[in-house]
Amino acid sequence: MKTTLQTQPKIADPDGFYEKLLDAHRGLTDEQCAQLDARLILLLAHQVGDDRVLAECIEAAARPFAEAAR
Amino acid sequence: MPDDHTLPAAIRTATAVTGGTYELPVYPFVEPAELRGERLRHPVVIVGAGLTGLTAACDCALRGIPAVVLDEDDTVGVRGAASRGICYAQKSLEIYKRLGIHDRMLAKGIQWSVGRTFAGSDEVYSFDLKKMQTHSVSEQPPFINLQQFYLEWFLVERIYELGLVELRWKNRLIEIAPNEDHVVLTVVTPSGPYTLEASWVIDCCGAHSVIRDKLGVHATGSKIPDRWCISDVRFEREPPAERWTWIEAPFNENRAVWQHLMADRVWRLDYQMPADADPEAISRPEVVADRLRRQFGPDVKYELVWVGPYAYRSLCLDTFRVGRVLFAGDAAHVMSPFGARGGNSGIQDADNLVWKLALVLEGKASERLLDSYAVERRQAALDNIRITNRTTRFLSPPTRVEKRFRDAVISLAREFAFARAFVNTGRLSSPSRYADSPIAAGEHAGVHVQNVALTLPNGARGDLVELLQWCDHAVLGFLYVDLDGYVARELEGLEERYPVRFLCVQSEEGRTCTFPTVIDDEGKLTAQLHAAPGAVALVRPDLYLAGTLDEPSAADIERALRKLLAIE
Ligand SMILES: Cc1cc2nc3c(=O)[nH]c(=O)nc-3n(C[C@H](O)[C@H](O)[C@H](O)COP(=O)(O)OP(=O)(O)OC[C@H]3O[C@@H](n4cnc5c(N)ncnc54)[C@H](O)[C@@H]3O)c2cc1C
Repeated sequence: MKTTLQTQPKIADPDGFYEKLLDAHRGLTDEQCAQLDARLILLLAHQVGDDRVLAECIEAAARPFAEAAR
Repeated sequence: MPDDHTLPAAIRTATAVTGGTYELPVYPFVEPAELRGERLRHPVVIVGAGLTGLTAACDCALRGIPAVVLDEDDTVGVRGAASRGICYAQKSLEIYKRLGIHDRMLAKGIQWSVGRTFAGSDEVYSFDLKKMQTHSVSEQPPFINLQQFYLEWFLVERIYELGLVELRWKNRLIEIAPNEDHVVLTVVTPSGPYTLEASWVIDCCGAHSVIRDKLGVHATGSKIPDRWCISDVRFEREPPAERWTWIEAPFNENRAVWQHLMADRVWRLDYQMPADADPEAISRPEVVADRLRRQFGPDVKYELVWVGPYAYRSLCLDTFRVGRVLFAGDAAHVMSPFGARGGNSGIQDADNLVWKLALVLEGKASERLLDSYAVERRQAALDNIRITNRTTRFLSPPTRVEKRFRDAVISLAREFAFARAFVNTGRLSSPSRYADSPIAAGEHAGVHVQNVALTLPNGARGDLVELLQWCDHAVLGFLYVDLDGYVARELEGLEERYPVRFLCVQSEEGRTCTFPTVIDDEGKLTAQLHAAPGAVALVRPDLYLAGTLDEPSAADIERALRKLLAIE
């Protein structure tokens, strides 16, 4: 199956986004960070809203661990 | 007690539900013919008079099959488990309309529209089904709440009323011996043991089927470490008539609680318990009382109607047909109760099977038609197990990560509508699509056709189920063709050779047609059949689409019918 994932640079201000992401986690415990990430994943997933793209994102993100689990 | 009904006095032994516990009807043991030395070959023996067996029996009676039903008990509801199913979904209601108990179910049952979901001390969100957009075009409501034993009770009375099928109470099957052209069953009764012969056997013995074990049918499944305890109660001061669901109830140590209304003003309260809880300890009256006080306040006044702890597992037989034995209901598949998929799928098993069995017995279809039962309903069972397992995972997260994602869903659902779609407290049973059906006979095969309103050939306002009854439960062939292009005699010839009835479909009254005409003035039927002008759509007697054909010749239609009936 051909991938539909967008893999070329797209976010206008990558450093700015990255900083915001890190700042959101600042001062939180590991558990709180994990909770924040879970909320964020669900919110972002809804913005994507495409089952096939989401499945490919999950697969791509899990790839290193999928190898390890084998 | 079910509303008044004319029944032979011998079986009208049912007692009313008064005060505290349920009092169920008791049916008499009648000595079977075999015990008087007769040797009979019964066309169909149904083992087990639960929801599945009784539904199959009732359908047999309507189709003229003199089936015999064996049940080890002499009442409805499983003894010691009187309170089980409470929710019957639309497809089941459509089936029961055809079988003739739908009106009694509706009169006795409860419909609710407002549902609220809670976590912690406050509401996460609520909905009102009346205000929600529905994709349903069925004449039946989306579901009804009714104690399972009432449904079984109505079925028993309907079977007695129809008169053809023999219900043998206090007949316990202990042995089964399959042969080439029949099956021998050994049964014990209060008057001693006997054997009987059947051409076909339907195993509706429930989750602990002996037939399954005796025949050594392999099953795949998993144990699920989740335990619940039901308390059915009647309150002096009732809560609002709404369905309330706690994912995390502060009064139940942050475990789930269900609260919904059934018939007779009895409320089903279902508490999730620690996985290792002792079933006996959690169902003691004083422990139940303590739970109720924590939920409803120290002064709550109630009558306890029923208490029942339960655990569940998932299980599916590798095959639903072994020669002349067919497996249906819990005997074939077991799943968690979430989404009310257990009983509703057993009912659909029966609905899928009996028309096929009837055609095989009449010599109008090949025995291989029964393999399509096994394929279609096993696929539905696997769908149901997959869907209920997802609910289990939400309600009983097995790891910290899964619990964390659930927390995220709940916290987002308070604020944002989109996240409510992830809250999974059960997905109500809906008919599966038979994607791998071996009897697919055209486009869109295996899709359920809802019971839509129509004008019947006799000019009366009715619906698809009534049309099916009017056509003697045959295959329905809906004609969207210009009949000039056909020799109508060719289609009449098909009606003579195959169990099919052709009908012309028109959108408004007007032209006359060689075949009886239905008027689909709202277009609901035509849309479901995906029928364009020139099409012929074949609808199975269980109201599934067998296939839609595009401008077929009479020979094409015949080929489709033969595929549908597994001939050749
Ligand atoms: C807590 C709970 C809630 C549920 N809620 C719902 C719901 O809301 N909606 C829903 O659709 N489903 C629900 N279910 C599932 C539903 O109760 C079952 O799926 C349903 O009872 C299965 O029907 P059955 O006829 O296949 O088996 P059963 O109801 O188990 O019937 C089997 C019958 O076979 C008889 N029998 C067994 N062995 C023999 C033998 N050797 N010889 C003769 N007779 C025998 C028994 O006496 C019994 O009458 C719920 C289940 C539970 C536990």
